[in-house]
Amino acid sequence: MAETNPKAPAAPARVPHQARTAKSKVEVRGVTKLFQRKSDTLEVLRGIDLSVESGEFLCLLGPSGCGKSTLLSIIGGFEQPTSGSVAIDGVEVQRPDPRRIFVFQEYGIFPWASVWDNVGLGLRERPKEEQAHIIRRYVDLVGLTGFEKAYPAEISGGMKQRVALARALAVSPDIIFMDEPLGALDSLTRLQMRGELLRIWQQEQPTILFVTHDVDEALQLGERIVVMSPRPGRIAEIVPVDLDHPRDLGTAAYGRLKNRLYELLGVGHAV
Amino acid sequence: MNFLPYLVVVGALIAIAAASRLRDPLPKYLLPLLVAVIFVCLWQVAADAARYELKDADGQFVRWVEVFPTPRSTVLGMVQPVKDGTLLRYAISSVYRVAAGFGLAAVIGIPLGLWAGWYTRGFEALNPLIQALRPISPIAWIPLAVLWFGVKDAAAIFLIALASFFPIVTGSMTAVRTIPMVYVRSAQNFGLKGFELFRRVVFPACLPQIITSLRMALGIAWMVIVAAEMIAVDSGLGYLIMDARNANYYDRVVGAMISIGLIGVALDLMMRRLERFDEVRWGFSKV
Repeated sequence: MAETNPKAPAAPARVPHQARTAKSKVEVRGVTKLFQRKSDTLEVLRGIDLSVESGEFLCLLGPSGCGKSTLLSIIGGFEQPTSGSVAIDGVEVQRPDPRRIFVFQEYGIFPWASVWDNVGLGLRERPKEEQAHIIRRYVDLVGLTGFEKAYPAEISGGMKQRVALARALAVSPDIIFMDEPLGALDSLTRLQMRGELLRIWQQEQPTILFVTHDVDEALQLGERIVVMSPRPGRIAEIVPVDLDHPRDLGTAAYGRLKNRLYELLGVGHAV
Repeated sequence: MNFLPYLVVVGALIAIAAASRLRDPLPKYLLPLLVAVIFVCLWQVAADAARYELKDADGQFVRWVEVFPTPRSTVLGMVQPVKDGTLLRYAISSVYRVAAGFGLAAVIGIPLGLWAGWYTRGFEALNPLIQALRPISPIAWIPLAVLWFGVKDAAAIFLIALASFFPIVTGSMTAVRTIPMVYVRSAQNFGLKGFELFRRVVFPACLPQIITSLRMALGIAWMVIVAAEMIAVDSGLGYLIMDARNANYYDRVVGAMISIGLIGVALDLMMRRLERFDEVRWGFSKV
């Protein structure tokens, strides 16, 4: 599989997604997912078409039960669509791939291994020195230097999610799938982690597909927001967010986008 | 009537009441020690109440008959087996048999359980048989064990292996079947498969539960060894109980019982030490 690493040594200024001319990274075509239950069939996803550009930060926003996590699992190769297809770099996705890493809400880091060993999970086949070099770099990038020997039970939830992030970044993935990765954190840690995530994204340039049900989270992070409607899950609208980082939550533009998202989700913003 | 035990019990109860009001941390062994003191006193009281006078045909007092040896006579009864080394020798034989049988069960049971837990077909095939054999008390196997192995170590080891095997295999099987999916998914995402997936994820994820099942199995094994030694061999603590009973040395019976309890505690404490390793601590406590 011919693949060029899109990462340039010096991070170029980010190009808004509309201006990118490269072929899209992820192509989702007509994806449908049915779950067979005892007596009936549950239609989880219907006719999903979606293109994701290389290096894009894309948020999937929707109420719980709208199938956004299922869609992410299908794109990641953990589940198969009932019909339709997903291609990454033009190759159909069949199974999970170490170049595309999932970060789960429940962290998925191993409690029996130290922070150091967790971050090194994907580097097993590299020479020891190289492993150490990479692990040190990403532990530092997520701000966990000094905790290398700690075990997950000894660190906070936010730190665990940093370990999961460092573990994902250490293999230089070209796509990171995040399924409500900040959902288990307290609200202050969540805000702080959003900032960290943006900083890391800008520095490392991976494509990120980020599932959330939090409107503010999607607005703070995403270049585009795919709003999904529930049962069966469909794309209601794809909302571009043309605001520069750091995004000022107090501006009128932000407010208008937020209202728009609430409308699409079918809830009035004024309670 | 001897009031001393009652006085000691009251004293110990007051000490417990006083100690539990203290805010400072107590010495770890204080409360268990006081409870043990109360237990021994109640034992003394019960033993005193249960003894009766033996009289001859003329109604003349001959001697006291103890149906329940007192703590004092138990200690005195154990002097000889301790002095001549019988107790130590028997304890070593019992521990040796348990170690051999338990080790055998672990060596077979853990891999088998992990295998059957990982492959659904293996589970479906093996589990019904295991669950049907499991409720059969190992004691029910004693006649067959003696028939097959004779009155030898092998018979007892076989029984212990049998007794430990089922908790170990069931525990390992359940451990694999309840691994949180998120670990397996992460591992597969990072390209782990085959033996590496097993070594780096499946086995470590199961280890705390395996250790718990080993602990349970060792407890059961230690209970079964006594029964096995009463019939299937001619040494060991179980044999000591049977032998003392046949010679009417009930003080020695109780002494052997206490030795069994103490060694059981020691074995369990050893198993609990396994829970403290970094690789498994997460499975036993929050931090």
